[in-house]
Amino acid sequence: MHPTLSPRTLLTRTAVATVLLVLVMLLCSLIGPQAISLKAVVSGPTNPTAPNPDYEIFVRVRVPRIILAALVGAALASAGVIFQALLRNPLADPYILGISSGAGLGVILAVISGVGWTLWGRSPVAVFAFVGALGTVWLVWGIGRITGKYHVTGLLLAGVVVNAFLSAMIMFLTSIAKSQQLYATIFWLMGNMTEEDFLVLWVGGGCIVAGIVGLFFLSPQLNIISVGYHDAKSVGVPVERIEFAAFAISAFITAVAVSLSGLIGFVGLIIPHAVRLVFGPDHRQLLPLSTLAGAMFLVLADTVARTIVAPAQLPVGVITAILGGPFFLVLLVKYSRKVYWLA
Amino acid sequence: MTSAIQAEHVTFGYGRDKPVLQDLSFQVQTGTFLAIIGPNGVGKSTLINILAGQLRPQSGAVLLEGANVRSCSVRDIARRVAIVRQEFVPAFGFSVMETVLMARTLHYGRLGFESGADRELATRAMELTATTEFASRTLGNLSAGERQRVFIARGLAQDTPILLLDEPTSFLDLKHQVQIYGLLKSIQTDKGTTIVAITHDINLATQYCDQTLLLYPLGSRPAEHPSYRIGKTAEILTPEEVERAFDVRVFSAIVGNQRFLVPLGARAGNSSHSGRTS
Repeated sequence: MHPTLSPRTLLTRTAVATVLLVLVMLLCSLIGPQAISLKAVVSGPTNPTAPNPDYEIFVRVRVPRIILAALVGAALASAGVIFQALLRNPLADPYILGISSGAGLGVILAVISGVGWTLWGRSPVAVFAFVGALGTVWLVWGIGRITGKYHVTGLLLAGVVVNAFLSAMIMFLTSIAKSQQLYATIFWLMGNMTEEDFLVLWVGGGCIVAGIVGLFFLSPQLNIISVGYHDAKSVGVPVERIEFAAFAISAFITAVAVSLSGLIGFVGLIIPHAVRLVFGPDHRQLLPLSTLAGAMFLVLADTVARTIVAPAQLPVGVITAILGGPFFLVLLVKYSRKVYWLA
Repeated sequence: MTSAIQAEHVTFGYGRDKPVLQDLSFQVQTGTFLAIIGPNGVGKSTLINILAGQLRPQSGAVLLEGANVRSCSVRDIARRVAIVRQEFVPAFGFSVMETVLMARTLHYGRLGFESGADRELATRAMELTATTEFASRTLGNLSAGERQRVFIARGLAQDTPILLLDEPTSFLDLKHQVQIYGLLKSIQTDKGTTIVAITHDINLATQYCDQTLLLYPLGSRPAEHPSYRIGKTAEILTPEEVERAFDVRVFSAIVGNQRFLVPLGARAGNSSHSGRTS
């Protein structure tokens, strides 16, 4: 009997990865410009004598940000897995169908129009990003469907062209914007984490986690869909329905992630690849392990981003590329013998 | 005898071009091994895709085991028909075993995993196609012929009463051509599977296929005749009909009790030849 994925292996690996993620999150939440001790944190909010600063920092600053990083990393990596499968293209990432440029355009429009209103006491930039991202990706998907459902070339081309067009719009708006408006926009475009309050985390996190769980139930069919449209159809997979559901969910969670944290590149491209190189292409495993690995990776990258030039912070998108690039190349060289397109 | 496949007045064309298939009607009895033969572009692959419910005829209907394909779900069709194609687009480095197991996607359990019975079907299909020895290699690391056998294994693992194959031996060496046809023949006789295979090998069809559907290019036969003939292979694949369908000269020889046809190049003369060897 030749080894293929068994439910037991999947469960064990997922459990180990989950434990690892929790450990990484815990460890990273203790690291920061202000040293805090786990012991002091555990002792709780009310010291008999004075308020407990370690606890306050941990709960109000570190934990929300770490959770945000984990959520965004999970969303981008899992969406990356799905887009690569749907487009049958290992070079795809969650941004390839226009989400990034759509969101970017939304943000710069919000910034230069100087929108004065607030939504539940918050700046509407995230809302603009979300709407821009989803609007663009649905436009691209619609064009792709018109050009043909068997071949993804039309869809990919539509994505590339829309991305280029909207990027030009962004550059145009950037060149006429005032400099103080630009700073926020550029930071956003580079991908930036901030401390979000718990309500945002609950809503965004709920959407992302529910989406990923939904994707997991589509993953057995994604295996044969990633092989080909006709192959999937002939073994009895309702390809259009599954593709549509997978696309809608992954576009949605990417838009949520982007509106929470800006354009963090690289996670959605290299995490699925790295996991595939090590554990193989079976989506039933690729999806959960990429989700957890993406979360872990972004928590680590964000920890570097907020500590390396402390008290200043770097945009986390810079770190993902700087850390992720070499890491990925090492993996690529090490495992390349297992990968047929290099063999 | 019920008919496994029934085509009624099937007409199909791509876009606004003139139709590829025009008013095709035929039946394939359960347990038949049918060859589809005809020149390039005559609509063989199109026809097989219509039979598998993947293309809709512009008019006419296809019945699989009596059920109209139009009213069947993708799952219903996949329980009745498996289809083996020649195209291969490199995807993400799935292994041979993983690829064959994908045939069982429809039967996965609640958690999305195959059962022991599914694994047995896949293992058996791999043994039959002699693909077990490279079960853990990825598809990209196989030769075209090895890969073709893997796709046949996947078709077998789907375990359907009807098996459609689009040129199943186009990349295979002589030994594997004969082996695959022998395998298909044994599946036909042992399990009563209905098999429809597109092939360009007239002599293999003569040896293995009970029935042949010969498709002529539209306009190559007198207007009152349909553009196809179906019947017993020996009666359909006569030198005259093959010459008419393919627009070549053929040399015909009887070896034992089988007739073999060999196409002749232009230099070999332009009249039809025949001979007898025993």
